[in-house]
Amino acid sequence: MTATMQPKSEAAEAPRRGKRTPGAGENTRPRRGPMQFGHWWWALPGIALVFAIHYVATGIGGFFAFTNWTGIGSFKITGLANFEAIFKDPTKLGALSNTLFLAFGSVLLGNIAGLVIALGLNRVLKTRYILRTLFFMPVVLSPLATAYIWKYIFDFDGPLNAFLAAIGAGDQAKPWLADPQWAIWTVLVVLVWSSTGFAMVIFMAGLAGVPVEVEEAAAIDGANLWQRFRNVTLPAIRPAVAIATTLGIVQGLRVFDPIMALTGGGPAGATETLATQVYKQAFALGNFGGGAALALVLAAIILIFAVLQQRLTRSNPED
Amino acid sequence: MKSERLDMTQHRRYSGLKVGALAVPTVAALILTGCSASTGSSSSSGGSQEFSLSFATSNTMESPFQVLAENYMKSHPNVKITFNPQPNDSYDQTLRTQLQAGNASDVVVTSPGSGTGRSILPLAQAGFLEPLDDAAKKLVPEGSTSTFGSDGKVYGQATEITISALVSNETAAAAAGGFPADFSSLQQQCKALESSGKSLFALAGAAPPNTGLMAMSLAASRVYAEDPKWNDKRAAKETTFAGSDGWKSALEAVNTLKDAGCFQKGAAGGGFDAITKGLASGTSVSGFIPAPSWKQLQSAAGGSQFAVRPLPAEQGSGKSYLFASANYAFSINAASKNKDAAKAFLDWAAQPEQTKAFAEIDGALPVSGLDTYDFDGGAYKNVGALIKDGKYGPLPNIQWPNSAVYDALATGVQGIITGQKSPDQVLQAMDAAWGQ
Repeated sequence: MTATMQPKSEAAEAPRRGKRTPGAGENTRPRRGPMQFGHWWWALPGIALVFAIHYVATGIGGFFAFTNWTGIGSFKITGLANFEAIFKDPTKLGALSNTLFLAFGSVLLGNIAGLVIALGLNRVLKTRYILRTLFFMPVVLSPLATAYIWKYIFDFDGPLNAFLAAIGAGDQAKPWLADPQWAIWTVLVVLVWSSTGFAMVIFMAGLAGVPVEVEEAAAIDGANLWQRFRNVTLPAIRPAVAIATTLGIVQGLRVFDPIMALTGGGPAGATETLATQVYKQAFALGNFGGGAALALVLAAIILIFAVLQQRLTRSNPED
Repeated sequence: MKSERLDMTQHRRYSGLKVGALAVPTVAALILTGCSASTGSSSSSGGSQEFSLSFATSNTMESPFQVLAENYMKSHPNVKITFNPQPNDSYDQTLRTQLQAGNASDVVVTSPGSGTGRSILPLAQAGFLEPLDDAAKKLVPEGSTSTFGSDGKVYGQATEITISALVSNETAAAAAGGFPADFSSLQQQCKALESSGKSLFALAGAAPPNTGLMAMSLAASRVYAEDPKWNDKRAAKETTFAGSDGWKSALEAVNTLKDAGCFQKGAAGGGFDAITKGLASGTSVSGFIPAPSWKQLQSAAGGSQFAVRPLPAEQGSGKSYLFASANYAFSINAASKNKDAAKAFLDWAAQPEQTKAFAEIDGALPVSGLDTYDFDGGAYKNVGALIKDGKYGPLPNIQWPNSAVYDALATGVQGIITGQKSPDQVLQAMDAAWGQ
């Protein structure tokens, strides 16, 4: 419905805006002027496509969550059986906790790192343009390709273990991505590395709007670096924090390709997330109904956290 | 005047837009409801025949399916075959999606049984495969009829017999004092090799198909040598994985092998490249990989000889057991418009000289004429006696009801190696997956 309302309200706004235009004044006919350009039904093709691609496809996928469809052939409606199976299965619950750990871990560390880098590269530093590009690079590169490079780095015969051996810590060498304790942290490192640049760009846009005069005034009043950041900069970039954390959480909750490339969910499910489970159930193990149910659960979780996040970080309580 | 003209133009634009506004969603709806043409090729007039062939590829070497089909085109100049190779890791999903959408190739490569995404039984049950004729029926290996179809119908034509056991670098094995004959000498050799920085086995611990194949190889002499019909009993609920001493012993043997240092360092995180690198360089002596790989490894590692070997049995050399089964088959898409051309190809491929040629191309054993096959001197010389004595059965997961059982075994074995899971937990997970 929002999609239908928006063009209509814009069309309704047009004549009023026209009246305010200098020179348009009295000659403008109230209803049939050249600025009255648009009807709500012009949006129909777009609405039809959005409806068909987003809502119908998602709806059909959602319907299969209540069936025992294997991906081919016939199926039976099984009610909530797939959802019961999810909440009884320790693997799925493990995947849920991994998903939350990776999402919140990558948002927290990625945003802190992004903010620190943005503050550092905001002004003064001469090489800041080159450094910004370098820090933003991981966002532009293919997550799958970079994940394979990381996989090589963390490989048992890879550069990390070679480095440890070179500095005399060879006994610490381990198959990082197949170690039950370390695998999830290794994945987290890769996720933080890839999300930092994105957070940095958002914080930089926020920092550009912070007036230098206010910071200078605070400095003259005797505020130290931390006080200036805490009481001047941070409140001013609050909208940027809201956007960076919300997008980060949504991205973190549905992360898929780096994990598939790094560990495939292993060792023995230690890095399995809801997204990798959705893929495995629906496509690798021929349990399309179970996969669809898991996808619905994931969508609900993303929705809940996105809304919560927006409410917690909004700058104006009346928004 | 100016504004009137503007209005007129706009009015004309409105009419055009009205048509457009109606046309775009209509076209979109047509596209979205799937009114798209099949990608399958069609028969053309003038006596020439065309059909398409889908198969999985997993390395840069030319697929044996493609070589066979090219040979067919050479001997049948009026036939044109379109190849649709797919990466092995996404083949099952692509095949199912294409069959469901009605645009799969005319001839598709499938697997017997119901344990994988490309398995014949669920695809046939869903009506996607065409029943085949007597030529295909004759090629069904003994004891495997139930995995090729039901109600007397056969939906796949076996292409070769694949042995799933060990592929060993014989040159490296000889340097290590010969391949061990029983399980206790195997453990001793593991320790000796480990101390020299080598390993008896190269394991792709992070690649579930490999850990699963190792566990099944360990179960060969412990479960299936004693009771070749164990899968039937499991299907009839007369036994369970968790209740089977043989299966328990097989998974406990994973720990035994690990503790004896049989795997290369960092095996838990190894991929298939760890096996190819280890075996080709001789730092590992053998690997749990499908037998036809010996040929590829031998061509990759010049100077080393490769051979197929059974895993030494715990009870002694006399108790060894092999998995030898037709793991791949040709099937015809039930929605194909070129069934005659496809059937003619299958009939040709079923001829003894073609099954022999295909086995030679792939480095496997021929699906027909195994009784008279000359094992001496070739890569299969170590398994010839077991085959001739009938001490072999089909790969167990072919007969399992779904791919989740094998997935539970394969990921579970990785968990045993990393210490996350006990053999009992893995077996219970397999039982739970069986009932899905």
